[in-house]
Amino acid sequence: MAAPLTLVLVLAVTIRAVLFRSSLAELISERVEVVSPLNAWKRVVEGLALLDLGVSPYSGDVFHETPLIIYLFHFVVDYAEIVFMIADGITAVCLYLAVQNYNKNVFRKQKYALEADRYPHDCLELMRSPREMHYIPLKVAMFYLLNPFTILSCVAKSTCGLNNAVIALFILSTLKGSALLSAIFLALATYQSIYPLTLFAPALLFLLQRLYIPVNLCRSSFWFFTLQYAFMFVGSLVVIVCLSFFLLGSWDFIPSVYGFILSVPDLTPNIGLFWYFFAEMFEHFRFFFICVFQINIFFYTIPLSIKLKEHPVFLIFMQIAIISIFKSYPTVGDIALYMAFLPAWSHLYRFLRNIFLVSCVLLACSALFPVLWHLWIYAGSANSNFYYAITLLFNVGQILLVSDYFYAYLRREHHLSQGLYLRRKDGSEATLVLK
Amino acid sequence: SYLFIYLFYYITTKATQFFNSGHTNNWAVLVCTSRFWFNYRHVANVLSVYRSVKRLGIPDSHIVLMLADDMACNHRNPKPATVFSHKNMELNVYGDDVEVDYRGYEVTVENFLRVLTGRLPPSTPRSKRLLSDDRSNILIYLTGHGGNGFLKFQDSEEISNVELADAFEQMWQKRRYNELLFIIDTCQGASMYERFYSPNIMALASSQVGEDSLSHQPDLAIGVHLMDRYTFYLLEFLEDIHPASQANMNDLFKVCPKSQCVSTPGHRTDLFLRDPRSVLITDFFGSVRKVEITREAVNLTSAAEQPVEATKEPKSEPLSYVDQLPVAEIIHQKPKQKDWHPPDGFILGLWTLILLVFFKTYGIKHLKHIF
Repeated sequence: MAAPLTLVLVLAVTIRAVLFRSSLAELISERVEVVSPLNAWKRVVEGLALLDLGVSPYSGDVFHETPLIIYLFHFVVDYAEIVFMIADGITAVCLYLAVQNYNKNVFRKQKYALEADRYPHDCLELMRSPREMHYIPLKVAMFYLLNPFTILSCVAKSTCGLNNAVIALFILSTLKGSALLSAIFLALATYQSIYPLTLFAPALLFLLQRLYIPVNLCRSSFWFFTLQYAFMFVGSLVVIVCLSFFLLGSWDFIPSVYGFILSVPDLTPNIGLFWYFFAEMFEHFRFFFICVFQINIFFYTIPLSIKLKEHPVFLIFMQIAIISIFKSYPTVGDIALYMAFLPAWSHLYRFLRNIFLVSCVLLACSALFPVLWHLWIYAGSANSNFYYAITLLFNVGQILLVSDYFYAYLRREHHLSQGLYLRRKDGSEATLVLK
Repeated sequence: SYLFIYLFYYITTKATQFFNSGHTNNWAVLVCTSRFWFNYRHVANVLSVYRSVKRLGIPDSHIVLMLADDMACNHRNPKPATVFSHKNMELNVYGDDVEVDYRGYEVTVENFLRVLTGRLPPSTPRSKRLLSDDRSNILIYLTGHGGNGFLKFQDSEEISNVELADAFEQMWQKRRYNELLFIIDTCQGASMYERFYSPNIMALASSQVGEDSLSHQPDLAIGVHLMDRYTFYLLEFLEDIHPASQANMNDLFKVCPKSQCVSTPGHRTDLFLRDPRSVLITDFFGSVRKVEITREAVNLTSAAEQPVEATKEPKSEPLSYVDQLPVAEIIHQKPKQKDWHPPDGFILGLWTLILLVFFKTYGIKHLKHIF
């Protein structure tokens, strides 16, 4: 499978290179849907220029990247385009390998379950065969690389591509079973933006599952491993934060990066939900609603982990989707990461209920974003409500997409345990309804 | 008695040297008269003289800087907020502390003459006035496009050499200067000082009548010529001058000979009372105060004993100005371009950690497969 992957990589690099050389690159790097104050390339250049003038880049509201990004770009700022293309390539290859590994595991488990005769007899059409699963990793890589969102994000040189690369490396290392690497990459991802902290739970669940440690709160082995993993994660996070202190010799980066992400002072419109709310919020209630919005992201971890205890990889997908929808400064690059996983769940297609509606909504909103922005900012005949309506609709579409896949996954699991054709107690046909 | 005569002679020469130049303050009027992007070099000329003058000690309150166009923030400037004078962008003469007094369309012949003669409306702020007195040495530097007997302002009007000479005469009669150094870098610049008739004016020009002053180097990145030849070599000469320098006007006359400048620079000293050899560069370009540092207390109360003490003073350590100034710190004051580098400890720590993780994950025994 290396050859088709290489072909896809070459194609992706060509498209990005062509776009980099065209005049569209300038246009795209100014779009608010693609860059946010957290990951705009303009701000990285500004921060590096401030550093060359002897001023801390965190003074003022310009630069909100972490010091490790300063270190990276200090040396490669002239080759930024290549760096971002490499980051996209790394993400795609990591996702490819991760999904390949995951598919092997899934197939292996299915084989054991079939041999142990644990599935009801009418579920055989729900079984997955290696032939259908053969092309899924390639499709995942393709979905990531050739997704217009990813291409836009790469051409705009938004550091979201680097975030995605770190998260993809984290997923790969988790799926390979290496607890140390997984903790380190998770610490890096959390260090970049705080929200990947929620991926701690699915990673832990996956590693426990892999080591055959049952998730039972009374058992000491569970706590032992959890503490080990938590220690590795917290330890690497502390080490990375202290190392960043030594780069510039000050703790300025903590309020500039984490304070900025958590307290959302910059209300530039983007495709997220925060800006409109906080533009019209009274100061008195601002803190309360900041807490509500931020807790919203972290809140879904516990119920979802309880429900998806046995399926940590799907939980990772759900968590990434929730982070992309509800984070304080989302961009289309974040969306591209979870959309790359969709081919891995292509067997759920028969249970998806709203897929047509959702895809129409997402396509239409993506097309309407620039239109309504132009009408609002340049033509002056619309106002922020129009743009926010499209933002809301886009996020509703995403939530519908994620919840649809969740429903389909759970439904398939239910069928696998209860049988495909459900019968009520009196023998008549029953349907499964989501209440 | 011979000793007494010798001492007396020594004191008077020292005193005459001390009060030689006769000025107590310095002013500079620096004018760039042309606009448009392709006249970048005229702005760079003036800014380099401004930079030298400021470096040698004349404060912004004593400099009237007139720039007819804004090159640093011009849309066509590929390096915004900079004006370079050297190719390869070695020297940015538009630092962070340039104070322009007359800008853009305010640079007109009328405003220039009003500044020189002091006949400004009462509402003019102090920064736009030449508040010189009869003890002021003024440096006047003009650059732009000129011809035989005129200098062009803003591509729409001109000042003639007669007007300029009359303005200087007005200044002399109103006692607005002690000595004046007039430098002009335009084509046929010598024609501008032909008509001067007021005393104590020394003039330099970059080219004779009938010759063109040429520009020095184009810069391929910026796309225009950066400096004129005469001012380029003048800047090079001035970069070696520091406030304690003893270089005199004869050295200034030698700046940019024909081999370097292609045109023949000219000068006029017949109206000047002092010998150019005894005139220091810093008399006009710097703001040098006559200061002597003493470690002893001077008794001012007993007036009758002062003449006796005055004869005794030169006996103990006559320190000249040169010796009291930290010369090495002032010479060659080029701004250093500081580049930030990550601290070594950080790099070391980061790569140690990365190596540790790598070895932990893959084990040392795999190393032999790599090497």
